[in-house]
Amino acid sequence: MSIIYDTRSLLIRYLTKLIRNPTLLATNLLTPLLFLVLFSQLLTGFGSFLPNSPGGYLAYLTPGVVLLSALFAAPLGGVSIVNDLNSGFLSKLLLTQVSRPAILLGRLVTDMLVVILQAVVTLVAGIALGVTISSGLPGVLLILLTVAFFEFALTGIFLYVGMKTRKTETVSALSGVLFFPLIFVSSAMFPVSFFPSWAQTVSRYNPVSYASDVTRSLVTGGFDLGTLATAFLMIGAIAVVTFTATLYQFRKVVN
Amino acid sequence: MENIISAEDLVVVYSDGTRAVDGVSFRVEEGGFFGFLGPNGAGKSTTIKVLTTLLRKTAGKVSVAGFDLDRSPGEIRKAIGVVSQETVVDVDLTGRENLRLQGRLQQMRGRVLEDRIEELLGMVELVEVGDKEAGRYSGGMKKRLDLASALVHEPKLLFLDEPTTGLDPQSRTTIWEHLEKLNKEDAVTIFLTTQYLEEADRLCRELSIIDHGKLIAGGTPASLKAALGGDTISLTIGDPVLKEKARQVLRTIPGVADSFDSDGGVVAYAQNAGQIIADVITTLDRNGIKPSFLSISSPTLDDVFLRQTGRRIRAEELLRKETEPFLS
Repeated sequence: MSIIYDTRSLLIRYLTKLIRNPTLLATNLLTPLLFLVLFSQLLTGFGSFLPNSPGGYLAYLTPGVVLLSALFAAPLGGVSIVNDLNSGFLSKLLLTQVSRPAILLGRLVTDMLVVILQAVVTLVAGIALGVTISSGLPGVLLILLTVAFFEFALTGIFLYVGMKTRKTETVSALSGVLFFPLIFVSSAMFPVSFFPSWAQTVSRYNPVSYASDVTRSLVTGGFDLGTLATAFLMIGAIAVVTFTATLYQFRKVVN
Repeated sequence: MENIISAEDLVVVYSDGTRAVDGVSFRVEEGGFFGFLGPNGAGKSTTIKVLTTLLRKTAGKVSVAGFDLDRSPGEIRKAIGVVSQETVVDVDLTGRENLRLQGRLQQMRGRVLEDRIEELLGMVELVEVGDKEAGRYSGGMKKRLDLASALVHEPKLLFLDEPTTGLDPQSRTTIWEHLEKLNKEDAVTIFLTTQYLEEADRLCRELSIIDHGKLIAGGTPASLKAALGGDTISLTIGDPVLKEKARQVLRTIPGVADSFDSDGGVVAYAQNAGQIIADVITTLDRNGIKPSFLSISSPTLDDVFLRQTGRRIRAEELLRKETEPFLS
């Protein structure tokens, strides 16, 4: 089928571009690693305040940072589509017989591969530093699925904004403005019990908290169906909103 | 011969109300080499975008490669190749990879595609750099790669939007040779837009001159020039009163077919201008008109444009060349 062949052809293009730009890939892989190493090595005494985390702060932090990979990778697709729009490459694509949905699909699959690579590297680093994953290999696979799904839901925001504004600066600026509060006012990096009550309330509605509770439960406590179902429903709802906007804008651009 | 493109009363109005194309009709024969000549902003790119299905027209009836533009844009895309004004290649991919991607998206694969890639690299003389990233190519090489990628699926109709704008003279000549060869040997019908007179004159067998969204003249380059009525006598006169007087006086001279205002003076057309030039000078002198400069030349397509619009295409061209170093 043309859509599969075309998605694969474009995936090869994006992966080749990634390999030819090693600094970009390295920066992407380094960001979660920096978070992991910096925070775990700076807040070494923090573990004694965490009675529920036998592995100390590192065991708490690792699944949170693994989840953050999704946020770090999400703007990539938006930047890429802006570049293709402005260089005329998208027009060139549209002049071929390419299946239209494959243009988006190729990009989405690429970013999910990037985020999975990021998550694996971060997990391996955590394990090297001493974290054990209580849920084993099935748990790891479920962690990767959660991170990839979350990245997919968030990337729609940047695809939409990128196609709407046609400026990579806007995409980058938005990711900073949006993600810093989302990251820090959530349970990803610190237990919410340390927060003032307003921040606890914000954190309770923050999707990053839901998603990192899933990855954390898989690392520290094992499988918890309730946490998983709630998080996936929430991520699914976000994905519906962001991709309705993305498809609307994509259709406008394509026609 | 069949018409491979036909456009009737094509109108494109942008959302801000600009009538970029304002009732344009033309036909291109299969196997032809057809050009749109006009200055910047004349509506050339807009027309090409409509014909290649990238932009929606406001009104008019258009068929391309035997298909109706509104009903079968997908069929049209299969039959055409397009080289846009900005050179579009992926600078991170090698020449081969660029062509392979393009071929795959045109639903080609396997041996057929690989053979075609090698054939095209040979044609545009990029075999040796085929495995180098396109970002390291010169401007002319990138344009040749772009041209090759438009040809990967062997289209019978090729559109080029100002294919040599921004290229150095040598690269320009190379592109011209490729296009002539494609048209003559491979029977590819070519539609190009240009603001370069030499380009239109050398390449196009059929030409339409476009300005402000309207076609102002059409025909073969030779017939367009012949219609002016002979050679061009250009006079440079600064004073507007003397300029107008010169225009009227020139018309009274036997052999002068016509005379017009041009940017910095007056232009007259005459058969065998050399034989009446003495007459021209004495007549002007008798009327107290002393042009600061006088020249005789064979008519160019710029004279055709001037005749229709009172402006020159060339003026813009020169102006841009002068200002470019300051901008970059």
